[in-house]
Amino acid sequence: MSALNSSAPPPDLRWIQCHRCHAPLRDRQLKPHEFLCCGRCGEQIKSAHPGRTMMAAWAFAMAALITLIPANMNPILIFSVAGNYQENLIITGVEGLWMQGFQPLGALVFFSAILAPVFYLLSVSYVSACWTLQMRLPFMGAALRLVEALEPWNLLPVFAIACMVSVVKLRTLGTVSWEAGSLWILATAVLTMLAIQCFDRKCAELYVEGVK
Amino acid sequence: MTARHRYELSKALTAAAIILYIPANFLPVMTITITGQVESLTVMGGVMELYDTGLVPVAVVVFLASVVVPAVKLVSLSWLLSLHGSEISQSRRMKVHAFLTRIGTWAMIDVFLLSILVAVGQLGILASVQAEVGALFFAVMIICTLYAADVYKTHMIWRQPLPKSQ
Repeated sequence: MSALNSSAPPPDLRWIQCHRCHAPLRDRQLKPHEFLCCGRCGEQIKSAHPGRTMMAAWAFAMAALITLIPANMNPILIFSVAGNYQENLIITGVEGLWMQGFQPLGALVFFSAILAPVFYLLSVSYVSACWTLQMRLPFMGAALRLVEALEPWNLLPVFAIACMVSVVKLRTLGTVSWEAGSLWILATAVLTMLAIQCFDRKCAELYVEGVK
Repeated sequence: MTARHRYELSKALTAAAIILYIPANFLPVMTITITGQVESLTVMGGVMELYDTGLVPVAVVVFLASVVVPAVKLVSLSWLLSLHGSEISQSRRMKVHAFLTRIGTWAMIDVFLLSILVAVGQLGILASVQAEVGALFFAVMIICTLYAADVYKTHMIWRQPLPKSQ
C-alpha cells in the first residue's frame, strides 16, 4: 500500500483530523498493538490492527438477529385478574395503543422496539460481513449510512428494562408471571450492545470509501 | 447539512422540547381502572405510586429515567447551545455532550412501560389501562431532545467563529 503511493509524504509528517472533534493530529506509523488517540477528545483515531473485532461484531449481530425471532414470538408476561388471563407480546402493546387512538405512539413503539433493531442488526452484520470476507457487495455504503442513522433509535435495551419495571408495577393490579419472551429480549439487548462495542465504524467507513 | 443548519435545528428542537416539557409533566399520562376505581396518573404520579407501594428501587429507576433525565437534558442542551461559538469551558462542554447522548434514550422507558401496561389492561371491566394525551406530549418531547443532541455534533463545540473584519 505504502509502496504504491511513494509520492505521498511519509506518515510521520502528515497531518490528519480527528473525526469526532476535528482536532488536527500528527499521523505516525504504529507499532503492533498501538493505538493513535485524539489528545483532545480521547477518540481512537487509528489502530495497528484495524477492524480486528469486525468478525466478532458480525457474530454478535447475527446472534442478536436470531434471538430477535423468539423475543418477538414469545409472550413477555402473562397477566391475570380473577381467572381471566392475557398473554403479552411486544406487538400487543403497539396494537393496544393503536386501538385507543394513539396511532403516533403505537407507530413510535413499533419503530423503535421492532423495526429499528431488525434493520440496525441487519445492516451491522452486512457491513461487518463485507469487511470480514473482504468482498465488495452492493449497497454497502447505504447499509453503513443506515447503521449511523438508526444508532439512536435502537431502543431494545430500554425496552428490556421497561419489561422488568412493568412486571413489578402490574403486581399491584393482579397476578403477573414472567415468560420466556422477556429473557429473549434481554439476550438480544446484551448481544446488540456487544455488537456495537465490536463494530469498528471508522474502519468500515474507510473500507466503503475505498471501494467507491 | 452545514454546521450552521445543525446549530439552528438543534436550537429549534430544544426550544420545542422546553415548551412541551410543561404539558408532558402536568397532563395525565394514563388512566388506570381497577375493579371500579378510576385513577389518572401523571409521570410523577406513576413514580409516587410505585414509591407508596413500597417498591423504592423501581421508583428510583423510573424517577431517574423519566423525570431527572429529561430535565438534565434540557438544561444542559440549553447551556451547550447558549455557549455555541465561544471558547468558554470547551472540554467540559464536550464531556457533557457525550454524557447527554449516552443517557438520552433512557427517558423512553416511560413510553414503553405505557405500551406494556396498555396491552395488559384489556381485560374488560376488571382492569383497563387507557393512554392519555400527556403521553403523546411526553413522547414528542423525548424525541425532540434525542434528535437535538444527535444533530449537534462534537466538533461544532470547537468551531471558532469567523473573524468579523475580513
